[in-house]
Amino acid sequence: MISAYKLADPLSPYRALSRHLALVVQMARRDVVGRYRGSFVGLLWSFFNPLLMLMIYTFVFGVIFKSRWRGQTGGQFEFAVILFAGLNINSMFTECANRAPTLIVENTNFVKKVVFPLETLSWSVIGSALFHLLVSTLVLLIIEWLANGAVPWTAVLFPAVIACFLPFVAGVVWLLASLGVFLRDLKQAIGIITTALMFLAPIMYPKETIPVAFRNWMYLNPLTAIVEASQDVLVWGRQPAWEILGLYTLVSMLFAWLAFAWFERSRKGFADVL
Amino acid sequence: MSSDDMNIRVEGLGKRYEIYAQPADRLKQMLMPRVGWALGRPHRDYFKEFWALRNVSFNVRRGETVGIIGRNGSGKSTLLQMVCGTLHPTEGSVAVRGRIAALLELGAGFNPEFTGRENVYLSGLLYGISESVLRSRFQSIVDFADIGDFIDQPVKTYSSGMYVRLAFAVAAHVDADTLVIDEALSVGDVRFTQKCMRYLRDFQKRGTLLFVSHDTGAVTNLCSRAIWLDGGEQVMDGSARDVVERYLAAQHAADRASLGESVTVRTTANSDLPATGEDHGMPADVVDPRKAVLNGEATRNLIEVFDFDLEQIDSEFGAGAARIVNVQLQLLGGDGKAHRLVAGGEVADLSIDVDVLQPIDAPIFGFYVKDRLGQRIFGDNTYVSYHERPVQAQPGTRLRAHFRFRMPVLPSGDYSVDVALATGTQESHTQQHWIHDAISFKAHESTMRHGLVGIPMHRIEIEQVGA
Repeated sequence: MISAYKLADPLSPYRALSRHLALVVQMARRDVVGRYRGSFVGLLWSFFNPLLMLMIYTFVFGVIFKSRWRGQTGGQFEFAVILFAGLNINSMFTECANRAPTLIVENTNFVKKVVFPLETLSWSVIGSALFHLLVSTLVLLIIEWLANGAVPWTAVLFPAVIACFLPFVAGVVWLLASLGVFLRDLKQAIGIITTALMFLAPIMYPKETIPVAFRNWMYLNPLTAIVEASQDVLVWGRQPAWEILGLYTLVSMLFAWLAFAWFERSRKGFADVL
Repeated sequence: MSSDDMNIRVEGLGKRYEIYAQPADRLKQMLMPRVGWALGRPHRDYFKEFWALRNVSFNVRRGETVGIIGRNGSGKSTLLQMVCGTLHPTEGSVAVRGRIAALLELGAGFNPEFTGRENVYLSGLLYGISESVLRSRFQSIVDFADIGDFIDQPVKTYSSGMYVRLAFAVAAHVDADTLVIDEALSVGDVRFTQKCMRYLRDFQKRGTLLFVSHDTGAVTNLCSRAIWLDGGEQVMDGSARDVVERYLAAQHAADRASLGESVTVRTTANSDLPATGEDHGMPADVVDPRKAVLNGEATRNLIEVFDFDLEQIDSEFGAGAARIVNVQLQLLGGDGKAHRLVAGGEVADLSIDVDVLQPIDAPIFGFYVKDRLGQRIFGDNTYVSYHERPVQAQPGTRLRAHFRFRMPVLPSGDYSVDVALATGTQESHTQQHWIHDAISFKAHESTMRHGLVGIPMHRIEIEQVGA
């Protein structure tokens, strides 16, 4: 079973998902549950974790730094909530990107001992990251509701925003997972890159504070468009910039297609070096 | 034969391993030819090559059982991995029809961090079994594996025996059309090995089996056909018996060559030594004159018996008019007392106790002694001795049958005994209770290497009969 996909088909990355959906769900579920196995409160950690982080942000940025977002009207919580909306996107990406380089290396059995649809590992990693994103977003909305007494209706658009993001994330995982097999230094480099991406996206500062000369360069950062869109729908209660998101989706799908094709081409070499 | 019958088709198969000094060289190998071509530089390879298999071609028909034999490093595992699809051929092709389940080496691709339960679901999904079907079969898989509470522990905590039990249990429940087994059975205990052999014999009736083993006995016993690989080349493909004979002959020749043609002669026993101990009413003429020597420290064929345990029985059937409640195999040593550890060639006593639950007429007790492959070595029943004067028994009574016989000298290994109670005649009877592997025993340190059983030799001599 060298490649069961027609790589010329730009939808092949998603066929990998639909064909093995049960397997992806099983792997993702096991991943989420397995992470907290043996701990006292178990799955509740995935809820406490974002809650505690949000409280720390509130104290540090709202109370100590007294940071204010441009146009911000609310209290101490508001800055933390905006920050949180962006950071959630970043954590989702970081979780996937950090795990990708070792994804294949850590599952040698799946390469050598069984016929495993390795391409689905990417989707399972995303599945488990999505679960954490979902919990964090719920925490965010609850805090927002407690602080402001209301949640913007545009929050229902959030899944659509994330859907635009997923092809890109999947592509990154395929690319890094494949390269990680051959280049074992990759894991170290990824940590630096994800940190850079976090600081170079309008997560801790509004885009308007960036000097005009650099402002549009910001969009070269693949996180920027998604971070802004999720701040729009989760905090500001306005429609995201659909034309940017539309373009983003196209590029992101193109990238996913290329990364998937690379992954499928290179997987023949995995067994030789593991 | 039509191509529809063909289950596995292997054509000109070859696998070249590329040995890379560093993982990154593999990437260069993938990319550099294109870059080099663009720059007009000569092509160079970044690996050292090693052909693990070359020019192998064969077809396997549906329902056939084919054994693959060969020494370590002859390419057996490489071949199987390519048949299963975990390894990509360098040249040639493999086509497999239907679902294939594999037990390759130890492990069969379980994820060590996952629990047994998670691995069962994961492997099942990989075989293409839906989650709902898996749920309905889960209990049956757990019963087959019989590893108790370990099913909810991570697989990394398993012993190799437990690992293979679970792997086999899964493979047995995925409706495979083809089963590939690679030495996996050698790690299980007797009872489990017997269970697997029963399963395999049953599976042979409906599916294709590819069986790899160093154990040529197992191959001749289980397979109709065998393929012999040596140094990655296909040496012979033919009936299992022919191939095994030729293989053993070649092995033998190779061993002799490595010993530099030195011939070793084993000195014969002094046949004047008196036999040790009594013989419990057995005719004296069957005493092997070498007995004293064969029972000497180095050559003793010790047989160790494991007790019957009702809790441990995992396969039984029968109409149920009576139940076997106890089975004992006592080996009567030279001193006439029962021992758990006695030499082969001594007298053994097998007793079977039965509780009668419904009135029965003409019960027949019987047993089989089986080797590790489930091959029946010998067995007997009470029919002939009692058919003139059938026993009748009422509910509430207990019957005991004794079989006293001289335990043959057995090649070292695990053995088990099936016991049964039937009613009727030799030709037409009803099994009331049959227990597979009711008790097991182990033979140690035998000088017997070939054949299924050793029989006592009455006389051994060398004489000169001509000038």
